[in-house]
Formats: sequence, structure tokens, C-alpha cells
Amino acid sequence: MGAPPLFLVQGTLDLLVLRALASGAMHGYGIATKVRERTGGVLSIEDAALYQSLHRLDRQGLVDAEWGPSENNRRARFYTLTAAGRKRLREETANWRRYSRAVEAVLQDA
Amino acid sequence: MKQRPFWYIRRRSVQAEVDEELRLHLEMRVEELRSTGMPVEDARREALKQFGDLEGAREYCRRQDEEKESEMQRSLMFQDLGEDIRIGLRSLMRVPILSLTVIVTVGVGIGATAAIFSAIDAALLRPLPYAHPERLVRIYTDAPPFKWRFSAADYLAFREQQTQFEESATYTDRTVIYSDGVSSDVARARVVSWAFFSVLAVRPAIGRDFAEPDGRPGTPPSVVASHAFWQQRLGGRADAIGRPIKLDGAEHTVIGVLPALSGPLERRQDLFIVQQFTPPRRKGPFLYSVVARLPEGTDRSLAAGELRAVNKRIFPMWKASYQDDRATWGMEDLKGAVVGDVHAIAGLALGSVALVWLIACANASNLLIARVTSRRQELAVRAALGASRGRVVRYLLAESAVLATGAVALGAGVAWAGVQLLQGMGSTYFPRTQEMALDTRVVWLLAGLATCSGLIFGLVPALHGVGGSVDASLRSLGRSSTGNLAVRRLRRALVAAQFAIATPLLIAAGLLLSSLNQMKNVDLGFDQRNVITGSIRLPAAQYQDAGRVRVFWDELARRVTALPGVAGVAFTDGLPPNGASNRNNFDLEDFPTPPGQSQPVAPWVSTTPEYFRVLGLRLLEGRLLDERDALTENLETVVVDRAWARRFFPDGSAVGKRFREGGCTACPWTSVGGVVSEVKYLGLDKPDDGTVYWPMRGTERGLDRFLVVRTHASPSGVLPALQRAVREIDPSVPLSKVATMNDLVAQSLERPQSLSFLVAAFALVALVLSVVGIYGVMGYYVQQHRKDISIRMALGGSSADVLRLVMGDGMRVVIAGIFVGALAALGLTRLMSSLLFGVSAADALTFVTVSAGLAIVALAACFVPARRAVGIQPAAVLRND
Repeated sequence: MGAPPLFLVQGTLDLLVLRALASGAMHGYGIATKVRERTGGVLSIEDAALYQSLHRLDRQGLVDAEWGPSENNRRARFYTLTAAGRKRLREETANWRRYSRAVEAVLQDA
Repeated sequence: MKQRPFWYIRRRSVQAEVDEELRLHLEMRVEELRSTGMPVEDARREALKQFGDLEGAREYCRRQDEEKESEMQRSLMFQDLGEDIRIGLRSLMRVPILSLTVIVTVGVGIGATAAIFSAIDAALLRPLPYAHPERLVRIYTDAPPFKWRFSAADYLAFREQQTQFEESATYTDRTVIYSDGVSSDVARARVVSWAFFSVLAVRPAIGRDFAEPDGRPGTPPSVVASHAFWQQRLGGRADAIGRPIKLDGAEHTVIGVLPALSGPLERRQDLFIVQQFTPPRRKGPFLYSVVARLPEGTDRSLAAGELRAVNKRIFPMWKASYQDDRATWGMEDLKGAVVGDVHAIAGLALGSVALVWLIACANASNLLIARVTSRRQELAVRAALGASRGRVVRYLLAESAVLATGAVALGAGVAWAGVQLLQGMGSTYFPRTQEMALDTRVVWLLAGLATCSGLIFGLVPALHGVGGSVDASLRSLGRSSTGNLAVRRLRRALVAAQFAIATPLLIAAGLLLSSLNQMKNVDLGFDQRNVITGSIRLPAAQYQDAGRVRVFWDELARRVTALPGVAGVAFTDGLPPNGASNRNNFDLEDFPTPPGQSQPVAPWVSTTPEYFRVLGLRLLEGRLLDERDALTENLETVVVDRAWARRFFPDGSAVGKRFREGGCTACPWTSVGGVVSEVKYLGLDKPDDGTVYWPMRGTERGLDRFLVVRTHASPSGVLPALQRAVREIDPSVPLSKVATMNDLVAQSLERPQSLSFLVAAFALVALVLSVVGIYGVMGYYVQQHRKDISIRMALGGSSADVLRLVMGDGMRVVIAGIFVGALAALGLTRLMSSLLFGVSAADALTFVTVSAGLAIVALAACFVPARRAVGIQPAAVLRND
């Protein structure tokens, strides 16, 4: 069997969300802010898509959601990576690297 | 993993959570934008714009959350269920005898019910195995209470004039002699008009179907063989088609072979011979059953109306030979005609077996209540440790589910075996048993019975096990108590119910056995010992000459009479106890039938003069038939039996009275020559309505006769010589259907006998289970009342007092059950009155005997625990407390 098919945009967003959670629990707004800072605005990500991704990951059991107090003491939903989520993050990161290397190699050759 | 009860539902709705989360996001974004100096309104607009499709996101998130929630609940439930079943299984393994008893009794109940149901399913519920069976009808002459077959004249007129039927055909059965050149055999043949198979939409597997030209007189006769006959007698090869075979000595051509799977109208036939009708000269004889197919979506009342109209139209044409203008033509569903009237038998069998199942469930319930009661404290501890009430009920129900699963597994096996048994044995008493199968309907029934069983013997004890306060149960821990009053009441009610169910079953069995006994004691009218009978049919092709026919019969009679051990020989066309081949109508000179009314009908038995002496019928008046009577051209003299004479001439002598037979108005009178004692020809359980004996002649219809031989000793010793005698006269003539008169009587009793044995077996099981029930309850009673009994005995009570106390307590339950059961039986047995003979459905003797017998057996069952009570050592019991 060959390598699994590589995800495109949707999968990419899930990957970014998982990566953002790697350093600890965050709420949706925090993740949005963090992703925007990291990409330096290169990728434009709608908040709507981000929340859809979060709930999808929750259903798949890749993240856990729990209500807790936010920085300014509001009730916010915090997300953390589960063990399965961590594993998925590793795999997807590796996949993404292979993908981009392969694309890069072709582009350099040209 | 956190334990959550199965009814656990989220306290907050998914919807509200998603809304809250998204609102927070937007508010934080607005705050962020305002901090850069943006006005509130602009910040709001900008936040929404950045967010994108808010409605879509909300909808999507909500759906994801809801699905996650329901998945979680499902897996939780399965986890709990698995755990319950594991625990249930383990605790049942610790009480193997109890578990086995429940599984075996309920399993057999379920299986037997399913087997009986599958017989009823095959016969009554499933449509006939033909294409569009609902369009198939049987057509008959309706002369209530009789349904006569058609004559050739009827059918030909019907076929020519009808417009409402798609296709129609006749069939009539006869035996033929099949000879393959080496040996001759009797084969069962159905003579069918050429459209028979197309009416049924049956196609031959090989060869062709009959076609219109095959039915024309003069065409060489053709035959379609059954699959079995083709395999066994025609070599089973395709080259059998087109081959000539000899039937009754005449050449027939095999043109087709039916498929192996056959419907009820082809089953049990060897050959199908094409019918060739010649134009009739008179209205009778009425030999042909008619089947017809209605067109799609037709109005049945139109078809029925047309039948009546055609009958009316042709009536004047046959006035000379047929006067019954009250009789009309009717039709009925072919399925009803095939299945016949088996509803009473079917209902009785299914009812009794279902009652046995119910008793088994009540018994199981009783046993399990005892178990729950003895575990009450364990359950109370569980409840005290935090198990919810629902959780405990569920745990007990899981145990029942395990038991019910075991029972249904056994039940499926029993049902399968029962179907095999009924197919083998039941085919002579019940229609369409070959079509029995464990189909989806039966499987659903099994599943339904299993579920009901589980609920009956599970729910009652389970609800009971958690009833009452935890506190009270715990407090009684380790102390003997007089038993919970509610438990005792419940168990006693269950036992009473068992007796209430067993009583009608036993009464039904008693009534059936007593009517069987009555039938066995019916006087046949002659000494049935040492009589042997057989059927002989002369091949028509070789016996066309009347002289040759006469010579054969005379020679046979002469040779058989000369055999050692033979006391007498006679020929007849009808045999007791239910083998009257013909019935005939007649019009008495003294009491002519008014126009518009049906003429009287009686069994019409043709015999040789020796018949009366061979069977031993007494001549009461007048004279017997003699040789000269057989020589007259018209029917001049007959002999009647006493029942006939009493029916028409109760006050005077019947001898010399005259009538015209068979609806013939122009025939000369036939007069009664003598009166003999009665013989049963229509079945042991049918009343004597009078029989007419007429002289058997050597010609015309004389090819087919029963041989009746009276022997000095056991008739089976004469049989080889008898067969040799027939063979020596003509080797191509087989002697078939050999049976002693005792065999014939036994055969006619087979159906009532197997039905009464079946119901008796069910009743016996019910009896045993009820006795087990009362025994168990009384044992428990004694155990719970040890203290009471000890005190009584210590205070000077005698053993007799204790016996009376215990047995009186038990018998109150039993008597109440029997009383209710007997009342129910009064209503129920009326439904089976058509199956009874010589005994009323409310026969007091049976009711009293069965109730008393049941009470005595129950008394014995109570006696054992009562004896144990007497043996209690008061000092020991009281000291221990």
C-alpha cells in the first residue's frame, strides 16, 4: 500500500488547529488569533470554518472540550488535544512535510 | 469510566452551548476592534464580516455535537447491557438446575407452539402455491347441505356458455393398472380436462402440456406423469416423453413430466390422463370436480350470477333425468376447498399448546420469584450501595433475557423436530403439511414468544425484587421472617393460574379421549373380526367383452371360496366403516318430493348376494337379493337397512314400497324386497341415515370391485393364497388396498386418535408443571412458617393439626384455580363440540372426574411438604432464633 492521500484545504485547516492546541488548552478566539499571528496573514481563515473544524475534531475524539473561565472571567469553551489528537497531529505534520517537499522538488526542477 | 444511568440526558441543550460559544467569540472580536479605536457599530459589522457564514457554522457545529452525544449514549448503553448479561450469565451458572428447568420447560413450550403454528401457517395462512391463487375457485352444484360435483353435461354447458372465467378444467380420480410388460401395478391417476394445468398455471418440467386437440374424443390418449412416477417407473430420462405406456391395458402416450415441487392439486398423484368428453345422453353421473380461474380484478358476484343463470338455462334440457330445481351452481375459493374444515382442530391444537407455553412461563416466573426473594437482601445491599432501582430491575431483566435466549434456542430445535414429525405423521389428518416450513412468519412467532416469555418470567419477579423499602429488607437481614406477604400472594396467584389453565386442557383431553372411546365402541353392525378386503380393477382394454368380465368374477369367487380357511366370499363397491363409493337420490311413490325440493339421498351400495351372509347382516323382513335380481335389465328390487325403513316408514313395513332412483321419471318402479340390520358406511361418528343395497351386475360398471372374504381364523393367513388365486386367473390384474376390517376401522380412527393423544400429551405436561408449582410454593411456605409451626407444636398442637394447616393452605389455592379453570372450560369446550362424538361438550362426568383427579394429585403434591412440617423439631427451631 502506498502513502495515504494528502489532504487539501480542509485537512490543512484541521492540521493548523491541532498544531495551535499542541502547546495547551485554548478557546476558539485564542486559536483564531494564534493562527492569524503565525501565518502573518498569508492564509486568510474565516472564523466560521475554524469553529466548524473545532467541532468536527471534537466529534472525532481528537480534541476534548470543557467549559472554563476565560482571561477576563467569562465562560468559555476550552479545547485540549486528546492522545488521539496528538497522534493525528504527528501523522498529518509528517504528511504535510512530504507533500510540500514533493511539490517543492518538482518546482525546483522546472 | 463514569457510570451514567441509561436515561441520562444532557442538562443543557447542545444548541445553547454552541450559541454561547459563538457569541463569546464575536464579543471578544468586537472588543479587540474597539480597542483600535473603531466605533461600536462599525466594530460589530466588521466582526461579523470576519466571521463569515455565521448561520452555516452554527448549524454545522450543532449537528456535530448532537451526533457525538447520541453516539456516546449508544455505546454507554451497550456497555451496560453487556455487563448486565455477563453478570446474569455468571449468576445463572451458579444455579444450573433452576436455569435448566426454566430453559427446558419454556423452550419446549415455545418450540411446540411454533411447530403447531407452522402447520396452521402452511394450511390456512399461506396462499396456495400457484400463480395468483386468489383468482382460483372451485365450482360445484350447491344443494345444501351437500356440494355435488359436476356431470359431463353440466361442465360442457358451463364451458360453452360462460363468459366470466378466464379458464376452467375438470378433474376426477381413479386408479389405473400400469403394466410395464413385466409386472402390473395400481397407479393413482387423476383424469383431467386438457386445460387443467393452464388453469393452475403449472408448466411441465419436460415435454409439453395438454392442448385442446388432446381432449377430443378419438385422439390417442395422452398422459402427463408426476415427477416421482417418472423417476421411479419411467426411468427418469428425457426419452420417456413420447413413449407409449399401458394403462388399464390400453396404450397411452407420455407427453410431459411435472416439476418435482407440486401443489396440493397434483400431490399424491402418479399420472394425469387427459379427459375426453363425449356428448352426454343424460344429466348424470356427477363425477367431475371443477376448478376455474377468474380474470384479473373481476367482480365475483357477476361470476356467481352467471353460474346460477347457466344452471337455470340448462335445467329444462335435462328434465327427464334430473328434477332438483332447488340445487344451483356455486363457487368457493379453491383454498377453502383444498383445506377443508380444519379450523376446529387447528384452533384446539394451537390453543392447547399455547396454554402449555403459558403454564411453563408461569412456572418459570414462580421459580424465579423464589430466587429473587432469597436474594432480596443481596439486592437491597446493591440498592443501598447506590444502584438505582431501574438499574436493579435491568440487571434482573438481563438475567431473564439470558434464560429466554436459551429457551428460544432450544425452542427452535424443538420446532424443527416438530415440523419433521408433523410432516411425516400429520399428512393423513391435516391438509398441506408438505408445505410446512420454518418461514419468516414462524421465526417472528419464535421471537415474539421468546420476548413474551422473558417479560412474563422476568418482569414480575424483577419488579417484585425491588419492591418495598430498602430499609425494611436490610433490617430483616439475617433473621427469619414469616415471609413477605406480597411474595406469598403473588406466588399463590401464579400457582392458582397454572391450575386454572391446566384444568380446561385436561377437560378437553378428557372429552376427546372419551369420544374416542365412544367411537371405538360403536357397533359396526357386524362381526368385524376375520374379514379381509381388497380392491380389484380389471384393465378396460382387455375386458371389453361383458362375458369375459363375468367369467373373471365367477372364477375368482369359485377359487377363493375353495381356499382352505375361507368361510365366504362376496363383492361390493362400498366398504364399512366409511367407504361408501356412491350415494343416490330417489323419489318415493308414497311420499313424492314436491317440485322445488331436493329428493332424499342415501348411500347406494352394490353387492353380490353373498355379501349379507359374509358380513353377517341379519335379515329382518322380506327377502335378500339373489342371483336373479342381478339379471334384470332395470333395477327392480333392492334391499334396504333398518335405518332406511325407519326413516321413511316408521310405522309400517317398508317391504313392497316403491321408488324411482337417480331422478329418472320414466324408469320403471324399483321396489324394496327386504330389510337388513344397519352397517356404518359414512364413518363411525356419523348417524345411520339408511343404506340401499342393489344387485351387482357383471357388466358395465363391473370392472372395479371390492373383494370381501370371511375367514375362519386370522385373515392374514389366507392372504398369500388369495393373491395367488387372482394372479393365476389373470397375471395382469393386481389385488390392491388389501386390509382387514380391523385395519379399516383403525384407519378411520387415526385422525381422532392422534388429535386426542396430542391434546392429552399437552394436558399431561400442564399437569406436571402445575404440580411442580404447588409443590414449590408449599415447600417455601413450610420453610417460612417454621417458627409458627414450631410454636403451635410446642403449645400442644398435634401432627394432624399441622398437616391440616399446611395442606389446607395449599388446597385453597388449588381449588380456586380448578374452579376458575372449570368455569373457563365450560365456555371453551363448546368451541370444540364439532370434534366430539357421543359426549356433550359440557359432559358433567368428565368435568367432575378431571377436577377431582387434579385435586387429588395436587393434594399429594402438598402432602410431601406438609410431612416435612410435621417433622420439624420445635425446640431446635425456637432455640436457634
